[in-house]
Amino acid sequence: MTQHDPALISAALAGIERALNQAIALSPTSHDELAGLAGTVLGVEVTTVDLTVYLDIISGTEARLMTHCELPTAAFVRGTVEDFASLASSKDPAAVLINSGIELEGNSGSLIALQQVISRMDIDWEAPLVATLGDVMGHQIAETLRSMFRWGESAHSSLRRQISEFVLEEARLTPPKAELEYFFDAVQSLSMQVDRVQNKLEKLRAKVEQKRGQA
Amino acid sequence: MTDDTTSTPHEEENTTDFGFSRVNRGDKAGMVRGVFDSVAGRYDLMNDLMSGGIHRIWKRFTIELSAVRTGQTVLDIAGGTGDLAAKFSRLVGPEGQVILADINAAMLTVGRDRLIDKGATGNVQVVQADAQALPFDDNSIDCITIAFGLRNVTDKAMALRSMLRVLRPGGRLLVLEFSTPTSALLGKLYDQYSFQILPAMGRLIAQDAESYRYLAESIRQHPDQETLLEMMEVAGFANCRYHNMTGGVVALHQGFKA
Repeated sequence: MTQHDPALISAALAGIERALNQAIALSPTSHDELAGLAGTVLGVEVTTVDLTVYLDIISGTEARLMTHCELPTAAFVRGTVEDFASLASSKDPAAVLINSGIELEGNSGSLIALQQVISRMDIDWEAPLVATLGDVMGHQIAETLRSMFRWGESAHSSLRRQISEFVLEEARLTPPKAELEYFFDAVQSLSMQVDRVQNKLEKLRAKVEQKRGQA
Repeated sequence: MTDDTTSTPHEEENTTDFGFSRVNRGDKAGMVRGVFDSVAGRYDLMNDLMSGGIHRIWKRFTIELSAVRTGQTVLDIAGGTGDLAAKFSRLVGPEGQVILADINAAMLTVGRDRLIDKGATGNVQVVQADAQALPFDDNSIDCITIAFGLRNVTDKAMALRSMLRVLRPGGRLLVLEFSTPTSALLGKLYDQYSFQILPAMGRLIAQDAESYRYLAESIRQHPDQETLLEMMEVAGFANCRYHNMTGGVVALHQGFKA
């Protein structure tokens, strides 16, 4: 018998699947890219919660999420929630796949292709607003939301910059990146010099023991 | 209709349950038909209201577990208003076939109309059939589903044997049915809901409290998870197992034809 109540998992997946298909519908530029992956099934096992989910890309406009799948999977990945979060948000998914704790079986190409389709998705949030509220009202609300979003992004990056400057330059809580890199280089250089000296000492000791043996 | 408190062993053989009552075996199909004739028009609405829409989730998991693929033949017994058949129609594609079967003509009529409205037409057949004597060739079906229908069948063992006969070797049967809650507390709440709220909702929405009282009673008379599992094994199904859903309120049994 399954550990989780299948009804609970199915309900959650039904909601996610609906949102995913809605997002795909609102991103027409992704349809051709997804169509290229049609028929691909990807399996994901989240070890943190002991849950396996399959993503079946039915067509360029529809995907299905399942907890049970008997179709052959192009790729099967296994990892923790944190691993998958870093993979989803990474600009270099191949590096994350290699360096993180994610285990991969099958073809990584289809997984990376899907991650790139998702990262390139350009969702037209204005379309449902216009369809519901009409052209004028929908567009105005969308513009307001866009400007709020832009302001939020700008405020976020400005805040990050200012915090970084305060921590590094004013409070001197951590050393600057360049200083830290110089220190690491110096440590590495010292480590190599110590290794060389140790090698020379070993050689000298070997020579001394050899001469003692001859005497 | 007879009462089970006064039945003799001979009468036991000739009678079967109809809710909490005992009726002649020959009469049950007609009485069940009467219930579903009464509720057919508002069956889906009532299902949504009674289960809070959860019946769609139970059916979604059933479709997942069916693993139906393009080109296969699927038989949906007691398919009623055709919600499972519509989903299977998309999954099997134009090369496959879905047979929507029900003993009740009123439910089939509603189901057929819904399927036409959903555009599921080219690969769907609608057949009025008795689950105990399925009118299909031996070894002709890849997957059989029966959702919330087995408890209304007079001779369940006979129906299971009939399903096994028409399944192809390797084919699977999925029985989605109300079952026995796994927790005592949930069982008590469920009893209150079934015998107090359910008939009241039936009276308000479908103007038919009796039919919905029968539905609640028939659920209690249905075999529990382990008993149904054993019945499937006795009928000849292999690799039988079940999944409890919503704390055992519903169970999905699965068995294969070896």
